[in-house]
Amino acid sequence: MKEIKGPQWIIRFLHWFCPPELTEGIEGDLVEKFEEDLKVLGRQKANRNLFWNTLNFFRPSIILRNKFRIQLTETIMIGNYFKVATRNILKRKMFSFINAFGLSIGISFCILIYLFIKDEKSFDQIHLNKNQIYRMEAKSYDTWQQDPKHPYNREAWLQLGLRNALKDELPEIKYATRFNQDYSGVLRYQDKIFSEKISYTDKDFFKMFSFKLLAGNAEKLFDNKLDVVITPAIAEKYFGKDDPMGKTISIDNEGEKLFTVAGIIEAPPVNSSFDFKILIPEENRPRYERQMTQWGNFNTPCFVQLVEKTDTLKFRANLDKVVQKYMGDKLEKWRKEATIPIPKNVKMLELLFTPLPDIHLMKSIGWHKVSDPQYSYILGGIALLVLVIACINYISLALTTSASRRKEVGVRKAAGAGRKQLMYQFGFESLLLACISMLIGIILVVLFLPSFNQFTGKGIAIEWKDWIELLSIGFVLTFVVGLLAGSYPSAFLSHFQPALVLKGQFTSRLQAGFTKPLVVLQFFLSASLIICSVIMYRQMKFVATKDLGYNKDQTLVIPTQTGWNEEANKAVERFRTRAQNESGIVAVSGTSSSFNQGYSRYGYKIKDEQKSAYVFAVDPNYLSTLGIQLLQGRNFDGNIFSDSSAIIVNEALVKDMKWTDPLNEHLNWREDTVGIGSQVIGVVKDYHFLSLERTIEPMFLSMDKKNVGYLTTLLVRVEAGNVPASLDKVRNLWKELFPDKPFDYTFLDQDVAKQYESYQRWMSITGLATGFAILISCMGLFGLAGINAVNRTKEIGIRKVLGAGLPSIFILLNKQYVWLSLITFVLAVPVSWYVMNKWLISFKFSIAMSWELFAVSIVSGLVIALATVSYHALKTALINPVETLKYE
Amino acid sequence: MQKEYLGEFEELVLTMVGILQEDAYGNAIVNEIIERVGRKVNLSAVHVTLYRLEDKGYVKSSMGGATNARGGRRKRIFTITNAGLAMLRAKKEQQVQLWKLVPQLKITG
Repeated sequence: MKEIKGPQWIIRFLHWFCPPELTEGIEGDLVEKFEEDLKVLGRQKANRNLFWNTLNFFRPSIILRNKFRIQLTETIMIGNYFKVATRNILKRKMFSFINAFGLSIGISFCILIYLFIKDEKSFDQIHLNKNQIYRMEAKSYDTWQQDPKHPYNREAWLQLGLRNALKDELPEIKYATRFNQDYSGVLRYQDKIFSEKISYTDKDFFKMFSFKLLAGNAEKLFDNKLDVVITPAIAEKYFGKDDPMGKTISIDNEGEKLFTVAGIIEAPPVNSSFDFKILIPEENRPRYERQMTQWGNFNTPCFVQLVEKTDTLKFRANLDKVVQKYMGDKLEKWRKEATIPIPKNVKMLELLFTPLPDIHLMKSIGWHKVSDPQYSYILGGIALLVLVIACINYISLALTTSASRRKEVGVRKAAGAGRKQLMYQFGFESLLLACISMLIGIILVVLFLPSFNQFTGKGIAIEWKDWIELLSIGFVLTFVVGLLAGSYPSAFLSHFQPALVLKGQFTSRLQAGFTKPLVVLQFFLSASLIICSVIMYRQMKFVATKDLGYNKDQTLVIPTQTGWNEEANKAVERFRTRAQNESGIVAVSGTSSSFNQGYSRYGYKIKDEQKSAYVFAVDPNYLSTLGIQLLQGRNFDGNIFSDSSAIIVNEALVKDMKWTDPLNEHLNWREDTVGIGSQVIGVVKDYHFLSLERTIEPMFLSMDKKNVGYLTTLLVRVEAGNVPASLDKVRNLWKELFPDKPFDYTFLDQDVAKQYESYQRWMSITGLATGFAILISCMGLFGLAGINAVNRTKEIGIRKVLGAGLPSIFILLNKQYVWLSLITFVLAVPVSWYVMNKWLISFKFSIAMSWELFAVSIVSGLVIALATVSYHALKTALINPVETLKYE
Repeated sequence: MQKEYLGEFEELVLTMVGILQEDAYGNAIVNEIIERVGRKVNLSAVHVTLYRLEDKGYVKSSMGGATNARGGRRKRIFTITNAGLAMLRAKKEQQVQLWKLVPQLKITG
C-alpha cells in the first residue's frame, strides 16, 4: 500500500514542541485521524484537519508537561530553601548584616549613578525638533597664543550679525535664533527693584524649542521689539497674583526701557542647556546697531533649525560661502597682520555646527552647563568598584562560614539531593539576601539623593513614573549581584563529598589562601581611595588657606549697576565719601572687575615680540583695601593728573619685560606710535588675581578710564567683629545713596572659593566613596578575622595552656592582617600616585605629593584595619582555655 | 482522605477508558464519545485530560504494539486503575443518592 503522508512540516512542528515521551502516541493518533479523513473527506480537508488538530496540541499542558514535573519538586523544595535561608540569616545576624549592608550600599550607589548618567544623557531631549536643531560654532585659527597641538579654537560664540546673514543666505535654514543667556539687568515694577538675569533671543526661539508657552502666541511674540516673556516664578515675584499679561515693566541694561509682558514660558528643566528667566528680543542688546556690523566681535551664540533631510555636508560648504561673503576681507586682513606666519591651506575661520542633543557632553566647547562625559565613566567605575567590593565580601564570608554548612550539605546529599539542587539552594539564599539588600538600598537612595544632588550639582528628583524603572533596575542589579556573589560559594559548598564530611574527616580549618586575594583586592581599592582622598583634602585645604597675596576676608563685592560709563566711578566716589566716617567700614575701593568675575587681557607687540597682560581698572584705594603689597615705587594719587595714564605692574610683568629698573620704564601697551606708553610708577608683589589653576601672569593696574575701564564693582571691607551688622550698615548706605539700584553683594572670599567648586565637589564624591569603601572592606575584614579567630580557637586554647600570654596571642592573630594591609598599600601607592598626579596637574599651584601624605594614609589605613580585627583577636585571646578544650 | 475532584469531561473520558478496556487510546476515545454520547470533542483535549487523569492516578498508560496503520507509530493505551474505578463508582453512587432526593412527581399549581 502506498503510504500517503500529510504535510511533514506539521509533524516536525509537533516534534519540536512536544515532550519526547508523548510524541509517539500523539503523532500516531494524528496520523490515524489523518488517514481516516483522507478516505472520507479528501486530501485538502484532511490536511487542514491535521493542521488544526496538531495546532491544538500546542498548549501549555502539553508543552510544559515534562518541565512542570521537574519544577514541581523544585517548588516543593523552595519552601524548604526559604526556611533554611531565613534560619541561616537569622542565626548569623552579624554576617548577614555585613553582607546585606555591603550589598545594599553597592546597589544604592549603582542606582544613584544610574540616575546621574541618565540625567546627563537626558539633556535637551525634550525638544521635538532636537534632531534638526544645531548650535553654530566658529572654528578659528589661533594667531595669538597658539598651542601647537591645537592650533584651532572652537567656540560657540559668534558675531551678532551672523544669524540674520545665515537666514538671508541659506534656504536650508528654517529657523535661526541667537541666545545670550547671561546678561543682567535691573527690573523695576512699582516698588519692586531687583537685578535679574536676562536673556536676549529672537522670535524663532519659541518655534524651535519646545519650552511650553503658558500664555501668549508663539507666532506673534517679539514682533514688537519691546515684548518680554517671563517664567511663572518671575511673574509671581513682580506681579503677585495679578495677571502679568499686558503689564509693563521697566528693564534696565545700560539704558532703561519699558517692556510689555507678552508671554509666560515654563521655566527650563534642570537638564536643559538653556537657562532663562526673562527673555527679551535680541535687538535690545546695548549698542545693537553698531555691533551688527562688527564682524570681529564674537559674543553671541546662535542656533539654527534646518529644513528636514538637509544634507549637512552641503550645508557646511554653504557656510563657507557665507563666511567668505561677510568676513572674507576681514579674514584676509587678519591673515596679513598676524604675528605668526599662517600656512596657505589654513582657513582663518570656519563655521561648524553641533546637534543640539550633543552639546551638553561636548566638553571642548565652553557652555555654562557643559559636562564631561568622563564624569559618567568615573562615577560608573566607582559604583562598579563598590559593588564588586560588596560581592567579594559576600563570597569570602560565604566561603569562610562554609564550615558550619558542611554537615548540612552532607546530610542533604545523603538524603538524595543532587549537586545541582544544592547549587540552586545556595543561589536562592544569596538571591534572598540580595533582595533584602535591594530594599535597604532603595531606602538609602531616597535618603542620600539630596546630598548626592548637592555633590554633583544636579537636581535629580525621583518622580512616580520613575519608580517602575528604578525598581526594575534594582531587580536586575539584585539578580546580577545575587548570581555573581552566589555562584562561586554555591559551587564551592556543593562539592563536598558526603561520606568525608559526615565521617568528620574534613579538617575544620579553612584554606585561607582562597579568600586572601579577595580581601587584598578590596583592601587595595580602599587603600587607593584613602590615599586619593587624603591628597585631595590636602590640596583643597592648601587652596583654601594659601596666602593669595591679598586679603580676601570680610570684603563685600557690590556691582555699581551703572553700566560701563563715568557714572560707575562717580558712584564709587559717592559711596566712599559717605562711608568715610561710618564705623564698621574699613575701606572702600572700586575696580573694573573683582576676582573670579572676569578680567580684561590686552595683547601688544613690543620690539616685535608678542606679549600680553591682564589689566584692571582701579582707584588709589585699591591696594590698601585689599592689602596688596607695594614693592617699589608709589601708589596712584588722585591729585596727580599724570597718574590717570600711569600704571602699576606686578613682578611677573617686570620679569616678562626683563626690566632691571622698572620705575624708569614705560609700557607701550596701546602700541602708541607717537608716545612711549604708560609710565610705570610702582611694582606690586605678585598676587593671585586668577585661580590657582593658573600661574601668576603679567598684569598691570591703571586708572585710565577711557582705555582701561570704569569702576563697575565696589569693594567694601568691613570690620572683622560683627559682619552682619556692618552688612546692614552698608545696605542702608546703599539704599540711601542709590534708592533706585538693587543691592546685590557677594563676599570676596566666597567668590574666590567658587573657582574651586568643581574640585571641591570631586573631593566630596571621592570622600564619600572612600568612606563607603572603608566601611565595606572593614566589615569584610571584620567578618573574616572573626571566622579566622573561631577557626583557631582550639589552637589558642592550647597555646594558652602552654603559657602564651595575651600580647603574644594578640600579635599572632593580628600579624597577618598588618602584613596584608601593608602589602595592599604598597600596591596602592603607585596607582593613586598616578591618578592624583593627573588631578593635581590642573593646578599650577599644588601641594607636593610627599611621602608624608602616603605615610599618613598608610598609618590611618593600618589603624583602621587593626581596630577592625582587634575585636576578635581580643575576644579569642581572652577566652578561658577550659571552654575551648573541654570537648577534646 | 483528600477530597479529589473530577470534572465532567474528565469523568466522561475516564468512563470511556473503562468501556474501551484494551483498546483505549486517544483516537478511539474520541470516536467512542461521538458514537455513544454524540458529542464532538477535540483530540488534543482528550489527550490532555488523559494525562491529567494519569497524574491523578486514575489511569495508567503503556505503549501498545506497532501496526502498519498510523504510519507505524505505536498507540498509547490507557487502562483504568482501581482508584479510577472506585472514583467512578463513588461518583455514580453520589449521583444516585442525589437523584433520590429529587421529588419524581412535580405538581404544578
